[in-house]
Amino acid sequence: MSEFDVIVVGAGPAGSSAAIKMASQGLNVLLVERGDPVGSKNVSGGILWGNDLAAIIPDWEKSAPLERYVERKVTSFLTGDSEIAIDFKTKKFQEKKTGYSVLRTRLDSFLARKASQSGAMVITGVTVDALAMKDGRVVGIINEGETITADCVILAEGANPRVAMAAGLVGKPNDRTVGIGVKHVYKLGENVINERFNLRGNAGFAGEYVLSFLEGGVYAGGFLYTNKDTVSMGVVINMETLRKNGNTHSFDIMEKFAQHPFISGLVEGGQLQEYSAHFVYEGGYEDMPRAYGNGYMLVGDTAGFSFSNGMILQGMNYAISSGILAGEAAIEAKKDNDFSAESLSRYQKKLDNSPAVLDKKNFQGINNVVWSPMVHRAIPALLESSLYSMLYETGNPKKHLSQIMMKSLKSSGMNSKDLMLQGYRLMRRM
Amino acid sequence: MIILALEIIVLVKQVPDSQEVVIDPVTMNLNRSLTRNVTNRADENALEAALQIKDKVDAHVTVISMGPPQAETTMIECLARGADRAILASDRFFGGADTYPTGLTLAATIKTFGKFDIIFAGEETSDSSTGHVGPGVAEFLDIDQITYASKVDFKDGYITAERELEDGTEVVRVPTPVLITVLLNSNVPRRQTLRRKIDAMKQGFESWDHEKVGLQPEWVGVRGSPTIVRKMRPIKERERAAKKVDLAGIPDLVKELYQKGAIKLESE
Amino acid sequence: MEIEEKLALLNYKTDPEYEHITINPKICETCPDHFCTFACPAKCYTLIEGRINFKYEDCVECGTCDVACAHGSVMWTNPKDSHGIKYKFG
Repeated sequence: MSEFDVIVVGAGPAGSSAAIKMASQGLNVLLVERGDPVGSKNVSGGILWGNDLAAIIPDWEKSAPLERYVERKVTSFLTGDSEIAIDFKTKKFQEKKTGYSVLRTRLDSFLARKASQSGAMVITGVTVDALAMKDGRVVGIINEGETITADCVILAEGANPRVAMAAGLVGKPNDRTVGIGVKHVYKLGENVINERFNLRGNAGFAGEYVLSFLEGGVYAGGFLYTNKDTVSMGVVINMETLRKNGNTHSFDIMEKFAQHPFISGLVEGGQLQEYSAHFVYEGGYEDMPRAYGNGYMLVGDTAGFSFSNGMILQGMNYAISSGILAGEAAIEAKKDNDFSAESLSRYQKKLDNSPAVLDKKNFQGINNVVWSPMVHRAIPALLESSLYSMLYETGNPKKHLSQIMMKSLKSSGMNSKDLMLQGYRLMRRM
Repeated sequence: MIILALEIIVLVKQVPDSQEVVIDPVTMNLNRSLTRNVTNRADENALEAALQIKDKVDAHVTVISMGPPQAETTMIECLARGADRAILASDRFFGGADTYPTGLTLAATIKTFGKFDIIFAGEETSDSSTGHVGPGVAEFLDIDQITYASKVDFKDGYITAERELEDGTEVVRVPTPVLITVLLNSNVPRRQTLRRKIDAMKQGFESWDHEKVGLQPEWVGVRGSPTIVRKMRPIKERERAAKKVDLAGIPDLVKELYQKGAIKLESE
Repeated sequence: MEIEEKLALLNYKTDPEYEHITINPKICETCPDHFCTFACPAKCYTLIEGRINFKYEDCVECGTCDVACAHGSVMWTNPKDSHGIKYKFG
C-alpha cells in the first residue's frame, strides 16, 4: 500500500495543474516543490496563451494574478540601426483574450494554493533527489535517503529535469535542444507603461524580436512584455552559434539588447528590479521523450512541451494542458487500480489529440528555420536596405520596388534562388 | 525513580523576508501583503540550539509563536526540522502588539503549556530588531536569562553558555530554568527532510486563543501596547557598486577606496 | 549596467554546507575553450591566471553550464532545503 496515489514533483503550471485536477477528484496527492515560496525558482520568457486553465479553475481570468492581456503584438527584426516590425493591434483581443503576461512567482504561488485548497498536500523547500524504483517500475521518490511511496509519480520539473534525467527517462539536453534565456524586469509604473506603449486599462504589449545586429555569428531572439507596473525584457540565445563564436558572454548579449536604440527608450527611466536566467527548452518533435512508463508520467517542459514558430513562443499553456491530461489519466488509472505503462499509455493517447503534441508535430523542423541565417541575417538585411532605398529621398527619379530589392539582395550575398527556396520552406513550416 | 524528559521551549516568529520589506508610501506602515514571509533566521538558530541538546539528552522540544494563521508555514517548518510540538498563539485580539504584550502573551502561553526547563529565543527579529521579547518573557516568568549566546551546552541541570560581548567572550553557567537568546548564525540549522515535513503536515500545530492562555483582550494586542508609532519613513536604499579587478588592479582599488574614505589606514 | 551590479539585486539563501555544483579542476586545466565562462549568465565561472574559478554562491540555477561544458567537468545538482536563488518576479 503506497502512502500517496500520486506524487507530483515540481509546482510550476504543469505540476500544479495535474495536482489540482487529481486532488479535486479525490486522489491522495503530494505536490513537492524545491522552491520556497513556490515560484521563487521559476523564470518565464513567455505569455500565458489560451484558455487551458478554465478546465480546472473556471474563474481563472478573475482570480489568477494576471498582469495584462495581450492587445498589441509586435514581431520585429532589429538591425544595428533599424527596426522593421509588424505591429498588430486588435480590439478583438479585448473581447476574447488570447494571452496574458504573467510573473511566475505570483502565478505559481496561486496555482499551488489552488492545489492545496483542492486537497493536495503541498510541500515546499524540499528537493527530490531521485526516483525510487522496484522491479523496473517507479514506486516513489527519495529525499535524504528516505523513500516516500506512491502508485504513480508525475515529473513536472521544468526544462532542467534532474530527476528524470538521472533516471534516464529524458535525454541530456544539448546545444540544439536548449537556448540560454536571460531576463530583466524593470519597474516603470502603470501610467508610464500605458503612455509609452499606447495602452489603456489592463491591455498589454508583447514583442518578439530577431536580434540580427549581433556580431560574430551569434543568433538570439528577444522579447519584451508589459506587466501591470513592470516590464519583462529578455533574450533567448542560441547555444550552437554562441559556442561556435566562443568569445561572447551571454550576459553581454542581454545588455546589448537592452541598449539597442529602439529598445532602450521603451524602458528608459525604469529601475531594474531583477536579473534572471534559465535555459529554455527548444527541442523538436523528434527530441520528445516517451511521456509515460511503469508508474510515471512526464508533463510540461520535462516532456518537451514548449514551442516557438518565430511568431509565437508558447510553453505555459502546453504545460497546463499536459498536466491536466496526465491528471485525467491518473484518475482513470486509479479507477482500474493499474498504474502500469500499459494503463498510463492512455495519457499518450490524450496527448496525441491535443495541441501540445499536434503543434509540435505539425511544425517539425521549424527550429532549423527559426535559427537560420535567412531569418537572422538575410531577411532583415534585405528589408532594411530595401526600405531605406525606397524611403530615402535622393532627388533622383524613383526606382521600382523589384529593382531595389534585387539590388539589396545582391548586396546581401544571397542568390535569389536560395532565397526563394528558403522562403518557401519558411512559409510552409510556419 | 522516573526521570522526566527535559522540556525545552523555542520562541519563534514569522517575519517578512528582510530583502523585501516595503513601507506603504501612504500609511507609512510596513506593507506585509507585498512581502513573503519566512521564519526569522535567528529563531532557526535558536531551534537548532535546542535540537542539539535534544540530540544528547532525553528532551522534548516545543515551538511557541504568536502570530496570524499564515504563520502555519513556520510552525510546519519547525516541526519538520525536529520539534515535537508547535503551538501558535493566534487571536485577532493579539494583533498590533508591541513588544510588551507580545512578551506577556508568550509568557502566558508558556504558563498554560506547563512545566519547562529551558526557553530558547533568537537574539532579535529581522523585522523590528528590538531584542525585547526574549528578555521580556524571562521577566514575566521571573526566571534567569542569558542573552546573545553563541554557544550553548547543557549538563546536569546547568546551562553553560558563551556570550559574545564587544570586547571578548564571557562564559556563564546558570541552573535551569533559564531563558537563552541565541545569536544569528551561531550554528547551522539542520535540514528539513521530506519525510519529516509530511509527518509535520499530518501532525499539524495547535492554535491557542486569548481565553486558552488566560488573558483579557484589553491586556494584549494593540490595546495592551504602550508604544505609539508616530511616524515611519522609508530610508534611502544604500548605493551598491560592483567593480571587477584582476590581481594587478588590487593596489589601485585599495587606493581608490582609501580616497573615497571607505577604508582607513590602521594608524589613523 | 555591469553584470555584478545586476547580480547584487538578487536574493539568495546560500547553503554553507552544500555546493550544489562542483567542477573537476583537472578537466578544466586541459580545457581548450572555457565556454562556461561565456555561457554562464551569472558569471560564476571566471578565468584567473589560466585557471577556472567557480563560485556557486552566485548561481541562478539556470542549467546552462551543464550543457555548455562539453568535457564532463560540471557536476550539476539542485540546491537542497530551500537554499539558492529566490526570485521576486520570475
